[in-house]
Amino acid sequence: MKPLHIISAIRTPFTRAGTVLAGQDAVDLGKAAVSALLTRGGFDPQVVDEVIFGCVGQPAHAQNIARVIALRSGIPEARPAMTVHRNCASGLEALTTAHAKMCAGQGEVFLVGGTESMSNMPLYFSRQAAEKFGTLGKARGIGQKLGALTSFRPADFAPIIGLKLGLTDPVVEMNMGETAELLAREFHISRDMQDAFALRSHQRALAAAEKLRAEVAPLYLADHGFHPVLADNGARADSSLEKLARLKPMFDRHHGTVTAGNSSQITDGAVALLVASEEAASRHGWQSLGKLTHYAYTGCDPRRMGLGPVRALDAVLHHSGMRLEQADVIEINEAFAVQVLAVLKCLKEPVCARRAGLDAPLGEIADEQLNPRGGAIALGHPVGATGARLVLSALDQLRESGGKRALVSLCIGGGQGGAALLERD
Amino acid sequence: MKMELLQSLETDHEDAFIPRPPSPMMRAKSLRHFRLDSDEDGTAWITFDMEGGAANVWNETTLHEFDLCLEAVSRDSTLKTLVIQSAKDHIFIAGADLKAVRHAPVRQLETMIGLGQKVFNRLAALPLHKIALIHGACLGGGLELALACDTRIVSDSDRTRLGLPETQIGLVPAWGGSTRLPRLLGLPAALQLIVTGKLLKPSAAKRAGLADFIVPRERFEDFVHHRIALGAPKRRLSLTGRISLLPGARHFIASQVKKAVLTKTRGLYQAPLRAVEVTMRASVAPLPKAMEIERHAIQDLALTPATGHLIDLFFRKEEADKKPWPRGVALPVHHAAVIGAGVMGAGIAQWLASRGVRVLMQDISTDALARGMERIHGLLKEGVKRRTVSRAQMRDALDRLSAEHTRVPLTHEQIIIEAATEDMALKKKIFADLAARCGPDTVLATNTSALSVTELAGTLPHPERVIGLHFFNPVHRMPLVEIITTPHTSDDVIATATAFVQKLGKTPVVVRDSPGFVVNRVLMPYLIEAVRLYESGIPAETIDEAMLEFGMPMGPLRLLDEIGLDVAAHVGRTLVAAFPDRLAASDLLDRRVSTGKLGKKSGEGFYKHGARVKRKTVKHDASELEHVQHRLALLLANEAARCAREKLTQTPEAIDLAMILGTGYPPFLGGPLAWLRELGAENAKLELQMLAASTPQPNAFEPA
Repeated sequence: MKPLHIISAIRTPFTRAGTVLAGQDAVDLGKAAVSALLTRGGFDPQVVDEVIFGCVGQPAHAQNIARVIALRSGIPEARPAMTVHRNCASGLEALTTAHAKMCAGQGEVFLVGGTESMSNMPLYFSRQAAEKFGTLGKARGIGQKLGALTSFRPADFAPIIGLKLGLTDPVVEMNMGETAELLAREFHISRDMQDAFALRSHQRALAAAEKLRAEVAPLYLADHGFHPVLADNGARADSSLEKLARLKPMFDRHHGTVTAGNSSQITDGAVALLVASEEAASRHGWQSLGKLTHYAYTGCDPRRMGLGPVRALDAVLHHSGMRLEQADVIEINEAFAVQVLAVLKCLKEPVCARRAGLDAPLGEIADEQLNPRGGAIALGHPVGATGARLVLSALDQLRESGGKRALVSLCIGGGQGGAALLERD
Repeated sequence: MKMELLQSLETDHEDAFIPRPPSPMMRAKSLRHFRLDSDEDGTAWITFDMEGGAANVWNETTLHEFDLCLEAVSRDSTLKTLVIQSAKDHIFIAGADLKAVRHAPVRQLETMIGLGQKVFNRLAALPLHKIALIHGACLGGGLELALACDTRIVSDSDRTRLGLPETQIGLVPAWGGSTRLPRLLGLPAALQLIVTGKLLKPSAAKRAGLADFIVPRERFEDFVHHRIALGAPKRRLSLTGRISLLPGARHFIASQVKKAVLTKTRGLYQAPLRAVEVTMRASVAPLPKAMEIERHAIQDLALTPATGHLIDLFFRKEEADKKPWPRGVALPVHHAAVIGAGVMGAGIAQWLASRGVRVLMQDISTDALARGMERIHGLLKEGVKRRTVSRAQMRDALDRLSAEHTRVPLTHEQIIIEAATEDMALKKKIFADLAARCGPDTVLATNTSALSVTELAGTLPHPERVIGLHFFNPVHRMPLVEIITTPHTSDDVIATATAFVQKLGKTPVVVRDSPGFVVNRVLMPYLIEAVRLYESGIPAETIDEAMLEFGMPMGPLRLLDEIGLDVAAHVGRTLVAAFPDRLAASDLLDRRVSTGKLGKKSGEGFYKHGARVKRKTVKHDASELEHVQHRLALLLANEAARCAREKLTQTPEAIDLAMILGTGYPPFLGGPLAWLRELGAENAKLELQMLAASTPQPNAFEPA
C-alpha cells in the first residue's frame, strides 16, 4: 500500500468531562488543536488540500464540524472539509480516509484529527414532548396557547441524555458497559484482574506524565481569570486497588464487575495531525514522524464489540506479513479494562482465539509494549478523538525509543474493530 | 427604458414654436460630472459621477452643473419625480471640496457658500417628489443635498455613512444643513449630530429618522419605481420634536448642549459653540434669514486660524493614512507574530487580530501568555459592551490569535513585532533568535519606545529588514504609529511597514532613528520641566491646569502618572544620555520610583489614584498658570523645531501630525511647529533666550 506520512501531531489536554475544558465545545477544542498544529510546525494553511475530522457527537450548531473547525482555524475557504463517523474509531477513520483519498488521487496533504466534548453532549426531549412544543409554537390566541400548555406532563420535561443514548447499541439494545460485562462472564475475567489493569493504566500515565505533557499544546482559558491548561487531568495519583475495589458496579448492580474505575473516562479533548503523501512530504522538505502503511476495519458481534481489535489486528498483520511480536509498541484503546484483557486472551489462547473468529492465536503481547503511557482508563476517551491520539502517542513512543513499528487498535461500538500499522524508518 | 432627457428636450424644441432654449440648456449638454436621464413614467435621474476621481465633491463647477440639471428638470412639466444618485462605488457625495475651501480667498468662499445655498434651495423648492438614493459616504454637503429632498433611501452597505462632520474641521453646516436638520429631527437630535459630527450607519440613520428606507443597493431601482406609485411619504415632525422648536424649549436645549460642549472643550473650539447657536436660530427662522445666519457663521469661522489648522490636519492625516511610501514594494501582511505578551504585546496582538491579521503571540512563560490572553479578552469584551465590536467579530479576532510558548518556526509570518522588556541586551538576544527562525523576507520590527533601532539592527546579518514600529499605549485608542527607519532599512521594508500600519487603521509617521524618535523626544524636555516646576513649589494641579487650558488632553504630571514614573524615568535616562547638554535626569522621579510610587499602577505618583480618591479643587493663580503654560508650550515647540531641523521626518508637517495624534497636542493649534510659526520665530527666539538664561543648566530652552 502507498504509505501516508504523518508530518506533525498535537493534541489538547484530555480532561475529565465537567472540569476545565467543559466550557469549550467540540469546535473550540478542534480549532485549538488545529491552530496549535499549524503554529508549532510553522505550516502555511495554503498547503492543506482537505480537512477531515472525526466527531461522534457533533454539536447541533456545527454540522460538518470539520468545515467549521477549518474555517475558524484559518484554512483557506477554497479547501474542502468533511466529517467522518465510525464511532469510537472516528479519529482513526479521519486518518485512513485521508489515506484512501490520497490513493484515489484526491489530494496529497490532509489535516486530520478528532474532536469530542463529552461535557457538551446534548440532552433531548422525548418525541411526545417535542410534538407538544410544536403545538404550542403554532398556537394562536390565549385559549389555544393555554390549551397547548396544559397538555404538558412533568415527564415531558425529563431529558433524554444524549451521552447515554450514544453509548447504547440500538440493534442489540445493550449498553456498552453491558457488552463489557458479557466479556467478563464469558472469558472469566474477575473484578480484581480488571481493577489491577485499571491501576496499571493510572500508574503508567503518571510515570509518563512529562512525556504526555509534551504531546499537548496548552489552552488558555477564562475561568476566574485566565490560566493555561497545560496537561491531562484524568490520571489519579491516589488510585489504589483498595479504592478501586470499593466502587459499585455500574451496569449490573448485583453480580457485575465493570465499575467507573475500570472503564474509560468520559473526557473532553481533540487531536490534530498533518499528513501527506511521500511526494508531497519531500517536496515541502518535511520530516516524517512515521507512516501509515496498513490498516483494517472488521466487523464482529455487536454484543461482544469489545473483541473488535482481535480480527482487525489479525487483518493488518495478515496484509503486512508482519508478526505480532515484531511490533515495538502496541496501543489498544482501553474502552474497558475487561475488554482489553479479553482481547489479550483471544490473541494468546487458542480456544479464545477460535471464539473470536481466528484460526490460530496471533501471539502474546509483552506487558511493557502494551499502552506504555497508560490508556483511556487514566487518560480518558473523548470518543471522536481517541483514534488519532493513539496514533500520535504511538509515533511519539517510536521516536523516543527508536522503535520501527507500532500497532494501534480500537474496539468500536456497534461491533467493529479497527487497527493500523505505523512504521518509522 | 431611459433616454437622454436633454436630447429629447432639444428635439421637442426644434419642432415647437418656443424659441431655442436659453444658454444654460446648451451648456448642460456638455455636462462633465453629471448625467441626466428620464424614463417614460415621468422620472428624471440625476447621476453624480465626478470626472477623474473616486469621490464626488462639491465645488463651484459641480454646483453649477448640478444647477443646470435642475434647470433642465424644472423646464419639463411631464416630470413627476426626481431621483439623485451617485455613480461612485463607495461614495454618494463626500461634501464640499475642502481644498477649495482651505485656500479660497474670502470673495470666492462667499460665492461658493451662496451658490450652494441657492442650488439646494432650488432643489427643495422643485414641485416634484425628490428622492436621494444614498450608497456610500454621504457627508456634509452631501447630506445637505439629501436633506433638501423629500425621501432619503439608504443602502444597507457597511460603506454607507451619513453625517455632518463640519464642526470637526472648525466649520458649521451652511448649505441649509443647520436649518433643515432640526426641522426634520427636532432640535436635540439635530444638535447631537451637528455638534459631535458623528457619522451614522444605515440602521442608526433610519432609527434617527434621517433615512426613510434601508434598501439593498441592487434593489434601488425596483424600489424607486415601487415608491413612485405611492408618492412622497407624508412626514410630520414628532410632538417632542415640535415642542423642542418652541422658543423656551429651544433656548433651554441650546444652553444645555452649550454647557456640555464647554466642559468638554473648555471653550477652546469655536465651531461647536457657534453650531449650537446657528442651529437654534436657523431652525425656526424664515428661509432667507436662516440662510443668512448660516452664511455669517461659516464666513466667520472659515477665516480663523483654528479652522485652517483643522482642515490642514484633516488633509495631512488623510495623506498619511493613504499614501504609500514613495519607493520600494510593499508586501501584504496576513500573518504576524508578536513577541512578548505584556501590556504592549497583548495590546498590539489584539489590535492586529481585530483587523484581520492572523497573529501568533509568543512568550516564554505560559503564565505571561495567560495574562496576555486575559487582557485581550478584556479589551474585546469591553468592545462588545460598548457595541463597537460584535460577538462574532470578537470570536473571529480570538480565532485569529494563537498563543505559543515554544520556539516555533516563524517562516510564514510576514512581520514580527518584538514587544519585550526595554533592555538592549535582551532585545539583541531575541532578534538574533528571531532572525534564525523566520523566513528570508520577514520584516523584523521592534516596538521599543526609546532604544536605538540602528544599534539593534547592526547586530544582525540582514539589518535592512529591521525597523521600529512604535505603537502607543493603549494601542486600541492611540491612532499614531511611529515607523523608525535606520540607515540600513530598505525601502521595501519601509513600504511594507507603512502599508501594514495603514491597513491596521492607524496613522503612520516615518521617523529617522534617533533617541526618543519624535513623540518621546519632544515630550521629554516638557515633562522634565514640569517636574522641575513642581519641585520649585508649584502645585501639580496648577501645572496640569495650565496645560489643560492650553488644550492638552491631560496635564504633564497626570500624564507621567498614567505612563508610570518608572517607564518615564527609563525613557528619560535614554534621552538625558543622548542630550546631556540640554537635559538633566530628575532626581525626584528616581526617588519616587525607589519608594514604590510609580503612578496610577501603584496607586500613587504625583496624585493619589483609586476609585475613592476625589480630585482636589485648587485655586489657581492666573499669573502662575500663564508662567507655566508659557514655559511648557515653548519647550514643546522648541524641541519640535530641533527635530525639524534635524530632518527626522520627511516633512516638518509630519512632526505636527505626530504630536497631535501621539500626545493629543491641541489640533486647533495645528501642532507645535504651527504654533511656533504663529508666535513668530524672532519672538520665540528672544523669549527662549531669556528663559534659557534664567533657568538652571542644563536646560532645553536654548533656541533651536
